[in-house]
Amino acid sequence: MEEDLSNTKEMSGKILDTIAQKKHAAMIERLSNLHQSRLQQSISRKSDSNGPSPFESTKSFLDRFSEAKRSIQNELDRCRQVSDPDSKARLKSELEKISVSISDLERLVSENSYYLPSYEVRSSLKTISELKESLDNVNSEVLPKKKFAFKNKATKKDQTSVAQGPDVRVSDKVVAEKSNFQIRESPGFRNREGGILVKHFKSSEEGDFTLSDLNSCEVRLTGVLRALFIHRLRNCRVFVGPVLGSILIEEVDRCLFMLASHQIRIHHARETDFYLRVRSRPIIEDSSSVRFAPYLLFYEGIEKDLNDSILDGETGNWANVDDFRWLRAIQSPNWSILPDDERVSTVNISNSETPSQSEEI
Amino acid sequence: MGLLSIIRKIKRKEKEMRILMVGLDNSGKTTIVLRINGEDTSVISPTLGFNIKTIKYEKYTLNIWDVGGQRTIRSYWRNYFEQTDGLVWVVDSSDVRRLDDCKMELDNLLKEERLSGASLLILANKQDIQGALTPNEIAKVLNLGAMDKTRHWKIVGCSAYTGEGLLEGFNWLVQDIASRIYVLD
Repeated sequence: MEEDLSNTKEMSGKILDTIAQKKHAAMIERLSNLHQSRLQQSISRKSDSNGPSPFESTKSFLDRFSEAKRSIQNELDRCRQVSDPDSKARLKSELEKISVSISDLERLVSENSYYLPSYEVRSSLKTISELKESLDNVNSEVLPKKKFAFKNKATKKDQTSVAQGPDVRVSDKVVAEKSNFQIRESPGFRNREGGILVKHFKSSEEGDFTLSDLNSCEVRLTGVLRALFIHRLRNCRVFVGPVLGSILIEEVDRCLFMLASHQIRIHHARETDFYLRVRSRPIIEDSSSVRFAPYLLFYEGIEKDLNDSILDGETGNWANVDDFRWLRAIQSPNWSILPDDERVSTVNISNSETPSQSEEI
Repeated sequence: MGLLSIIRKIKRKEKEMRILMVGLDNSGKTTIVLRINGEDTSVISPTLGFNIKTIKYEKYTLNIWDVGGQRTIRSYWRNYFEQTDGLVWVVDSSDVRRLDDCKMELDNLLKEERLSGASLLILANKQDIQGALTPNEIAKVLNLGAMDKTRHWKIVGCSAYTGEGLLEGFNWLVQDIASRIYVLD
C-alpha cells in the first residue's frame, strides 16, 4: 500500500484507477469464494446427518441420544445375562466398551448443550448418570469373581484387590478401634434396675460421669462434676450437685431430674420433670410433655459447691427453655412450667451415704 | 477454591480468611470462639442459628462462622459452605458414646465439593476433663489416616476451658491457608 502511495506522484490517475479496480475485483472474488465454501460446508453438514452438530436441532439430538441410550442399555442387558464361560472372559472388555460409549454420549451432550433447552441438558445428564450407575451395578454383579480368581496368582494382582476393597478393611479397623474404647468407658452407673445409686465427688476429681440404661432407680450425686452424660433412663429420680461444664440428656422417659449446670441439653425426653438451675438457656429437642421448675436440692455443703461452680445465684433460666423443634414466637407445645402445687418440696440427700439399700462405687 | 477466587483474594488489600466452625452439639464451638477472642465464657447458651466473629490475627482478618450443632439444625450447615478457606471440626473428647455420630457427620462434610479446598483443623476439645480421649485416639476413631491425600489437615488437643492448644491449632490453620492463598506475598 505504501508502495502504491509513493508511486502516485509519478503515475497518472488512469493507471491508479485500473489498479484500484483490479484490487476491488480480487476482493469480490475472494468473498464469493468464501461464501461458496461456506455454503458447501453447510450442505455437506446437512447431508451428513450423523455429524456432530446436525443443524442445531433439538429433535435430531434427542433422536441420536435416545438411540445411543437404547443400544447401551441393550448391551448392558446382554452382559448381565451372559452365562457361558467363554463370553464371560470377554465380558470385561465389553463392559469397557460400554463405558467408552457412555462417555461418548456424555461428550455429545456437552457439545450440543449450547443450543439445547436446559431441561433437555438436565434430563440427558440424568440419563447418563443412570447409565453409569447401571454399568457399575453390572460390573459388580458380573465381575466380582475376578477378585478371587487372581488372589493366589501374584502379589501384584493382590494389591489391586486391596485397592478395590478399602472400605471393608477400614470399617473393620474402626470396629476394632471402637471395641478398644468401649472397654475404657468413662466412670458411671450403667445397666441397673431398681436401686439407689450414690456417689460423692471430691473436689480433686475433675472428671465426667455417665448415667446410662437405668430403670426405676434413684440416683444421688453430690460434690462438683465437670460434665454429665445421661442416656436411656426410665422411671428414675436423679439428684445431682453442681456440674461445672455441661449436661447432655438423651432418651429419658417418665423421670424426675434435679440438676444444676452451666449448660443443659435435653433430647428425646418424654413425660419428665426437670428442676433446674442453669447459667444459660436450657434447650430441648425432639421432646414432649416435659415440665420445668427451679432447682430444689439440699445436701450438706451444697452452698460451697454451688459457690465454687458459680451456680450460687438463681438465674431464672430454668424457665427460658428453647425448643429447637419449635422455632416460633408462640409457646412450644412440647414443654411447660410445672405448676406450683405439683412441685416436690426441697429434696434433702444429706444422709444418702448411709441408707441400707444404697449401692456405692 | 477456584482460581478466580484466589486471584480476587490476592488483589484484595485486606487479607481475609473465612473460617467455618462445625461439630456436634455440646462440643464447645462457641466457647472456643469466645475464648480466642478473649470474651467471657461463663454464660453461653446452646447456639440457635449462628454467630460471626471477626478477629485480627497477625496480618490477617479471620471471619469465624460458628454454626449451631444441634441435630435439628445440622442440615443448615450447607448454607455456610461457600467460600470457606478453613474448616474447624470440634470434637468433645469426653463424649465417647457419640463418636460414631461425630465420625458420620464429619465424613458427610468432607464429601462436600464446596469444602474440598478448605484446610481442616480438628480440635479435640475438653482435654482438661479427666478420662478424655487423647488427640491420637480421636484420630484413630475418626479414621483420619484414610482421608483424601489432597486435604490439608491437622488434629490438635485443646481445652476451651483453660485455653490450652487453641493458639497452636488456629496458628496452623491460618499459616496453612495463607500458604495456599497468599502464595505471592
